[in-house]
Amino acid sequence: MSASRKSPVKKKSPSRKASAGPSAAAGIRWRRLLWQLLLVGLVISLLGLAWLDARIRQRFDNHQWQLPARVYARPVELYSGREMTAQSLDQLLSLLRYRLDSAAREPGSYARFAGGVLLHTRGFRDSDGGEPAQLVRLRIDGPRIGKMTDGSGRPVAVARLEPLQIGSIHPGHSEDRVLVRLEEVPPLLVHMLMATEDRSFHEHHGISIRGLMRAVFANLRAGEMEQGGSTLTQQLVKNFWLTRERTLSRKLIEIPMALLLELHYSKAQILETYLNEVYLGQDGGRAIHGMGLGAQFYFGRPLAELEPHQFAMLIGLLKGPSYYDPRRHPERARQRRDTVLQAAASQGLLDDKVLSHFRNKPLDVVPKGGSALYAFPHFIDLVRRQLGRDYPPHILASEGLIIHSTLDVLAQLVAEQKLGEFLVPHKEVNGAVIITAPDQGDVLALVGDKSPRSAGFNRALDAQRPIGSLAKPAVVLAALQQPAKFHLGSVVTDGPFQVRMEDGQIWQPQNFDNQSLGAMSVTDALAQSRNQAIARLGLDAGLGEVIRTFQKLGVQSRIPPYPSIFLGSLSLSPFETAVMYQTIATGGQRTPLRSITDVLDRHGQPLARYPVRPEQVIDPEPAYLLQWALRQTMTQGTGRYAVAQLPEKLVVAGKTGTSDGQRDAWFAGFSGSHLALVWLGRDDNGDTGFTGSSGPLRIWTSIMAALPQRPMRLAPAAGVELVWLDPDGKRLSGRGCDGAREYPLITASIPLQSTACGKVQSVPGGIRKWFKGLFD
Amino acid sequence: MVQRFVRLILWSALLMLTACATRMTDPLAPMSMPPEDTLNGSAAETLWQQAVIAREQNQLSAAGRYLERALYMQPESSWLYRELAELRLREDDPKTAEVMAQRALRLAPKRPAYQAALWQLIATARARQGNEDGAARARLEADMLMRRQQYR
Repeated sequence: MSASRKSPVKKKSPSRKASAGPSAAAGIRWRRLLWQLLLVGLVISLLGLAWLDARIRQRFDNHQWQLPARVYARPVELYSGREMTAQSLDQLLSLLRYRLDSAAREPGSYARFAGGVLLHTRGFRDSDGGEPAQLVRLRIDGPRIGKMTDGSGRPVAVARLEPLQIGSIHPGHSEDRVLVRLEEVPPLLVHMLMATEDRSFHEHHGISIRGLMRAVFANLRAGEMEQGGSTLTQQLVKNFWLTRERTLSRKLIEIPMALLLELHYSKAQILETYLNEVYLGQDGGRAIHGMGLGAQFYFGRPLAELEPHQFAMLIGLLKGPSYYDPRRHPERARQRRDTVLQAAASQGLLDDKVLSHFRNKPLDVVPKGGSALYAFPHFIDLVRRQLGRDYPPHILASEGLIIHSTLDVLAQLVAEQKLGEFLVPHKEVNGAVIITAPDQGDVLALVGDKSPRSAGFNRALDAQRPIGSLAKPAVVLAALQQPAKFHLGSVVTDGPFQVRMEDGQIWQPQNFDNQSLGAMSVTDALAQSRNQAIARLGLDAGLGEVIRTFQKLGVQSRIPPYPSIFLGSLSLSPFETAVMYQTIATGGQRTPLRSITDVLDRHGQPLARYPVRPEQVIDPEPAYLLQWALRQTMTQGTGRYAVAQLPEKLVVAGKTGTSDGQRDAWFAGFSGSHLALVWLGRDDNGDTGFTGSSGPLRIWTSIMAALPQRPMRLAPAAGVELVWLDPDGKRLSGRGCDGAREYPLITASIPLQSTACGKVQSVPGGIRKWFKGLFD
Repeated sequence: MVQRFVRLILWSALLMLTACATRMTDPLAPMSMPPEDTLNGSAAETLWQQAVIAREQNQLSAAGRYLERALYMQPESSWLYRELAELRLREDDPKTAEVMAQRALRLAPKRPAYQAALWQLIATARARQGNEDGAARARLEADMLMRRQQYR
């Protein structure tokens, strides 16, 4: 009973326990799990944000644009007295894309007035500090620049036109851009960009809800991703860090990244980066990025010089550079441009009149091949090779080096034109031309193909061809360096002979006309390019001496040790041959041919100079004698055509050359200001049909006639005397004696005997010789 | 044999004479441009003046650039080559300095004092290349020119 009176123990009903308990516990577990998941999610999100933040800051803070090296032509100097016709000046201004403007208000514009031009030059940086943009009023007096004054009428001594960009050095596939600072960007471009792409740029913090919503509705309506609704910040994020594909996941990453970007960086920094980053088109393997390069690529001018309709085109291209390419799809591009202009007008940036004015303008896009950037591929090839000695390829492709080259654009155009014109009727024949400034060793022009825009085989640098009679001056020089044995009046025999070579073969030189003219002076042998006479002279001077002379003149290729090299069975490139003649033109001072004068970093600070470094490798006296003999070649020998065509006062010297079977025809010659070498040949090594005189000499003459010239100096060097010699060159003679000729001779080689018109006079030669020997 | 001996004696005497007689003038000491030089009154003179300023500020690279530009405009100016020779000496490039001084000499007007100064420049350039014989010969030339100047 007691047990029964015990108050019953309240036990939880098993059924209740079964029904409520587990669900509550599950709920708690789920809630806990949810919290845990949220917490994990939050941590992951925070970690993700931190990672994104680090990624953004790291890239943005340390970002350095990959910029290819840019190559510029020689800046054109303007000064009173300089030879320059109105036509040449027009040509230059056209290449530099100067705009005709009645008052030359902006840099890059010019105005004409009676007898002259008012120029507003663009400034540039150089290793000597560069040149400011300035107004220059210059008169053209016939073939020369006359008086030069500034905008206020004060005299200007010297001004320079900015150098023309002629190329950039980048690997096959790469980004290219011209960096611009925000303060250099025309404000109208910035406003038009915002009017089109992101009207609330200055209000939002990276994303625009309104823009996003608009895009969402548009996409829902279209049933596909049609609009991005991205702000400029989001577009930059996409270009800088993400892919181009339009997916939701990319969008989800893009939004926090845009917010973070705005958190850390100012609107100005974001805008400047955007303007330099945007992709605007493709040029073969080169991707065109940034408004700076876009302006150059499409309009051939700096960004600051573009007009509103051109801004509109650049902005319009952002939507689809390929789809709206103004060169390939001009109608479509024009519609897009007008849409941008309309958007700018709707924001009050352009009034109706201005809008109408610019809508009526043509696209004004320069033809793709019309840019000087691709005009001179063979010269750029030379620059690339010379730069390659000092800079590794990745530096050239990324550091934005500014390369000032030696190219004289006008000389280059002349060389291209003259070679091309001459070869029009000769389809199988091609050629090369090199023009240098002898004193400086500057390569002013280099043409490696009669189609000069073709970037194919560079014949000027890579064609290895027998130089024919262009070798003969080296033989004569080898002899003249032995004044005790040879002088210009020494007699050599132009007659048949043969030499047994080491391998047992017989070498028997023949003249081009298959005739032998007998005894003649060294001077005549060279002037008339007599093979047998020069071959004999070479043997007498010594094969080793001739080889050493070639090397002193600058030939670095292997020279075969056979006497046939006396007549040019030595294969050299036109460039190496020009090096050789350069040393002759400078009176024995070997001056390495340079294509670069300065290298500057991307900010215009000088990095390296390539100064002129000549070296006296041949004594001035024999070098002078050779110049004199090469002058006779032009007045009495194979170069007579040029002297007949060129102005009488223009003293020039040079040598023709033709290889066996007329496979190669050459001419190398110089005035005081220019050395030019012309080579003609066929790629299949066939007969060109030309000799040095009938082909290259003609081209050379027309080139020299078209360039501003200075005659070569032919004043005898110290240690050289002009003397009259009898016909056999062994005795001094009197002026006007039968067969006597005047030659410049090194004092040591002046004969000790004299003859007064055939009457030999005894000279106390022994005593004189003894005393002379003291000083030799 | 006798000739060789006499030659040896003669050259030794000349070199000693040169060493005693030649005043060791500073090749970098300021001197003035000959009035006949083609640079006078030309547009290139402005560039030369800028080169002088750059050189005084020890901006030798810029000075070299100015001089090279000036030479393109006035390639017959002996003075510009002299200035370039002097600059190359300052830049410790005596080889180029010698060649430039020789070009200056080739274009020089017939002024013994000016030519003597150029020979001094050549002598210094040769001496810095270790060519003592060549330097002595150049000093001898300078000395002979200076003597000729005194007798005028």
